[in-house]
Amino acid sequence: MSAFDLIAGVLLVASALAAVTLRNAVHAGLALVGNFLVLAMVYFALEAQFLGWIQIIVYAGAVMVLFLFVIMLLFDAKADPGLDPLPWMRPVGAALAAVFFLVLAYAFSRLGPVNPLADVKLAGGLPGPVGELLYGRWLYAVLLIAVLLFAATVAAVVLVQPGVRGARKKPQVAERERELEEVGR
Amino acid sequence: MSYYLLLSALLFAIGLYGVLSRRTAILIFMSIELMLNAANLAFVTFARNSGNLEGQAMALVVIALAAAEVAVGLGIIVAVFRARSSTSVDDLAELRG
Repeated sequence: MSAFDLIAGVLLVASALAAVTLRNAVHAGLALVGNFLVLAMVYFALEAQFLGWIQIIVYAGAVMVLFLFVIMLLFDAKADPGLDPLPWMRPVGAALAAVFFLVLAYAFSRLGPVNPLADVKLAGGLPGPVGELLYGRWLYAVLLIAVLLFAATVAAVVLVQPGVRGARKKPQVAERERELEEVGR
Repeated sequence: MSYYLLLSALLFAIGLYGVLSRRTAILIFMSIELMLNAANLAFVTFARNSGNLEGQAMALVVIALAAAEVAVGLGIIVAVFRARSSTSVDDLAELRG
């Protein structure tokens, strides 16, 4: 274990703990940005260069900017919304998380020694080899993700569209109903 | 056992604690992102240990999924905030909008 591993581990755990405990949501979001950036460095060290850059651009960039934007938009920076109806939830949650960690660590420790594939090389995880894989065997997964991203974009736009309550009538429909009402009178 | 696998388990547990202890929807959502990243770290570590790039391809798929999830999730949170003026999950105990 090198010094890099140790420093990265300490930074990752510290920023993750800050992200789940800080009282101010903006501070928690910034701690999470730090966590994602350190994780990108770990990806670089683990021969996943393309993934590291994607982590910086998509996660630390786009996703967290969206998070911070929504936090500031909703004036929701206070993490503690008044009286807690379940005050025992915090220690119980900590205990459950600790048990879960122990189970997961035990499961990982039971993994046998891996025998590296002789013919496949990581090649530093550069876009070329990863792209060959993604547009080869993973092509259908990539296509499905394209469909999913499109659907998610449409859903997000529909969800936050201003002034929509229930079914919205087209102007022509509303006009026609008004005409029918006048005729009926 | 690999050091980074242990780290990934620890990050996942921290994210789980965040999901269980946080009380506003946005912060719970951020903890879920932490858990997704812990899973990604495990994938990349497996890829490194076995010399197989497929783990990295899977991690890229997870990142794309997370982007879609964030778009829809934050849209839902904004819509709930408009209806309730709050994103505290204690207040969101009814199914009726």
